Amino acid sequence: MAASITMPKRPFLTLPFLLPSLTESLSIGAVRHQSSYRRTKQRLRVKPDASFGPSQQGRDQIIYNPPSSAPSVYHTPSKFLPANDVRRVMRPAAAATATTDVNELPSVYKTQPERKYHLTPEDVEEIRKLRLNDPMTWSRYSLAKKFECSPLFIAKVCGASPEKKAIQKQVLEAVQSRWGPKRRMAREDRKLRREAWGRDE
Amino acid sequence: MKRLQLQRWSSTALSPRVRTNNRLHQQLYSTGLRLQSTVSPLQSESTISENVEDASFQNPDAMRHIRPQDTIAISLSPVEAATQSAKLAALHARLYLPSRLPLQTLARTLVDASADSNVDFNNESLATLGHDLLANYTSEHLICTYPRLPLSVTFAAMYAYVGPKTLAAISKEWGIDNATVPGGEVDPGFLQFRRVAPGTAVEDISQLQSARPYADQKKWRMTVSSKIFYDDEFGDAIKGSVALGQGVTDETARATFVRAVLGAIYLHAGRPAAKRFFEQHILSRHLNISELFNFSQPARDLARLCARENFEAPVAKIVSETGRKSRSPVFVVGIFSGQDKLGEGSGSSLMEARERAALSALKGWYLYTPINPRVPSSMEEEGAAPWKPAHIDLGEVIV
Amino acid sequence: MFPGSFPVGVSKPCKWVNLKNTSVTTMPVKAIKTISSARNGVGAFILQCKRLDFHYCNFGGSSRGMLSFLTKDLAAFAREHPQIEIRVSPRPAKHPVIKGHYINGHEKAICVRNLEPSEIMKKTNILKEANGEKLKRTKKPVTSLNESVRGIWSPYHGDLRGV
Repeated sequence: MAASITMPKRPFLTLPFLLPSLTESLSIGAVRHQSSYRRTKQRLRVKPDASFGPSQQGRDQIIYNPPSSAPSVYHTPSKFLPANDVRRVMRPAAAATATTDVNELPSVYKTQPERKYHLTPEDVEEIRKLRLNDPMTWSRYSLAKKFECSPLFIAKVCGASPEKKAIQKQVLEAVQSRWGPKRRMAREDRKLRREAWGRDE
Repeated sequence: MKRLQLQRWSSTALSPRVRTNNRLHQQLYSTGLRLQSTVSPLQSESTISENVEDASFQNPDAMRHIRPQDTIAISLSPVEAATQSAKLAALHARLYLPSRLPLQTLARTLVDASADSNVDFNNESLATLGHDLLANYTSEHLICTYPRLPLSVTFAAMYAYVGPKTLAAISKEWGIDNATVPGGEVDPGFLQFRRVAPGTAVEDISQLQSARPYADQKKWRMTVSSKIFYDDEFGDAIKGSVALGQGVTDETARATFVRAVLGAIYLHAGRPAAKRFFEQHILSRHLNISELFNFSQPARDLARLCARENFEAPVAKIVSETGRKSRSPVFVVGIFSGQDKLGEGSGSSLMEARERAALSALKGWYLYTPINPRVPSSMEEEGAAPWKPAHIDLGEVIV
Repeated sequence: MFPGSFPVGVSKPCKWVNLKNTSVTTMPVKAIKTISSARNGVGAFILQCKRLDFHYCNFGGSSRGMLSFLTKDLAAFAREHPQIEIRVSPRPAKHPVIKGHYINGHEKAICVRNLEPSEIMKKTNILKEANGEKLKRTKKPVTSLNESVRGIWSPYHGDLRGV
């Protein structure tokens, strides 16, 4: 269980109760006896946060315990505050408070394609010509492969001809006509879910 | 059993108009004259006749406030009835209206233009004033509190605060009841308006044409000046008004009434009272502005925003995750620009979490509030602190 | 940008390419139309009882307390509560009744037969203070539309304390 969790903020060694004890074998550890239960319970008995206790210096202090909840959208990030806003000065800098380096966090994407910016205006003209004259051979993906760019870039540079669009529409209809009610509903639900993201529901 | 004196005990339930033993009212009916509380002073019958003789033929406008005899016969209840109505007095007290606002004016706010077409006796003029005040106070509050709000969201927030639906709901929460049919015997405490005839298609009312040229071209881009000129405060096109005899919907009549009340307070009790009334009844309502946004491509918008503001390009990173390759995974993705976290979102797929994170970052930008925002109208108060310019933003992200 | 990172949105556009087919949306944010919800008492407070009807009988003995209440106490009550419309009407050969009409359209009636004027005043106050809804047990003393200041607890946020 523990191995599948990627928790950079929570070092594995800080959770010693998850580690198999040296004195017990793993098969015994799976059964929870009264003795082991009490030991685990004792370790889980967390002391209250230091900021809750009486101040060491005897001065007034602000108790700041950020709740374990998703951040509120009404709390403007420091970077988004205008230059003349007082809160910019009052808040500590992000680098000072950050517990982990952003660079160390894993990326959302598996691969990161390199951006080359190598295409010239002549290339773009060529792309347009190919796509317009022979749309069946030169699809977006084949053009992207030929010119070593993304299909999105091809779409930005030129659109498909109306004939090709009509053909593509027919193909799509043919495919969709074979869908049964289950698949159709699943696709529609997926689309609705996708729209719900934008409303933050 | 004792015989009941019908006239005596029914007098509380019926309006003073139908009491037959009241000399004052008999006198009123004989003259057929109504007093108006706000617009113009009382005119005796002799002055009316003089006016008719003198000015009417040259200037038709001078005739507008004089009612011809045949309309008096079906006129609404006289202004004196307002002081006798328990319902109206209760409404006055229930809304804590200033004592300088007389009951006669309150009665006038309850008469819609569809019930009484004479502008001197219906609430049209008061509603026009109240409408402008509402739009002014709400828009300045929204713009000063959330200076970065996109235009569409500002319109939606305006609609949520002072749209006709909200105003109609407010009038219901004030305990206003409709008169079934407007008429002289109706208690002045009821809202009087002529309803749309049953069976009228809703499209007939809403299909009124906007004055905008090429209004039917929905896909054309509208310039800002065109929006200012042809659109109302909610970003919708201003349509022409309904024909006079057609009647109005319940919602329209109620919204007009609430606007008229604010206009009446402004006229009788002044600006501070109107502002206070607005704050207590409109601004105190609950509206979560962060729920008004509907993004289609938040990640793209955020990238554009960061490029515009010269921030480092936003990068999506996995903050924590659980259950990958299981049936119900949860990913928490943060969007970072440099070392600063802009937003955070969780979802059951990496794309969903990324979109939600970008969305929360964008909302964080748009929902910025200056510390202690002030509105321009706060300068009208006594002893107001010197004005500091409000925060003005570049505007929403344009892709 | 960090090395090896991938931007969230579209990369920088090439300036020399005429992006004819790029759809230009002037309004990337659409708005959802709603209406604001009322919070009675946050700004102005509207008393929910809008009308009280007092019914009495001149002949019946059960109305004796009610008649005394109407002649002695009602005027003071009405003066204290101008926001309530008060109607008094006889209901011969019936027990005396107080009916409250509320803004939500409901009405509540209390029969006050054989009650003393002081008890009738209590019943009147009950009707005055009611909001017209059916009586139900309130478990939490305060309900609010506002979001919790601390947010809704989420298992995926916040630091885990070292054990």
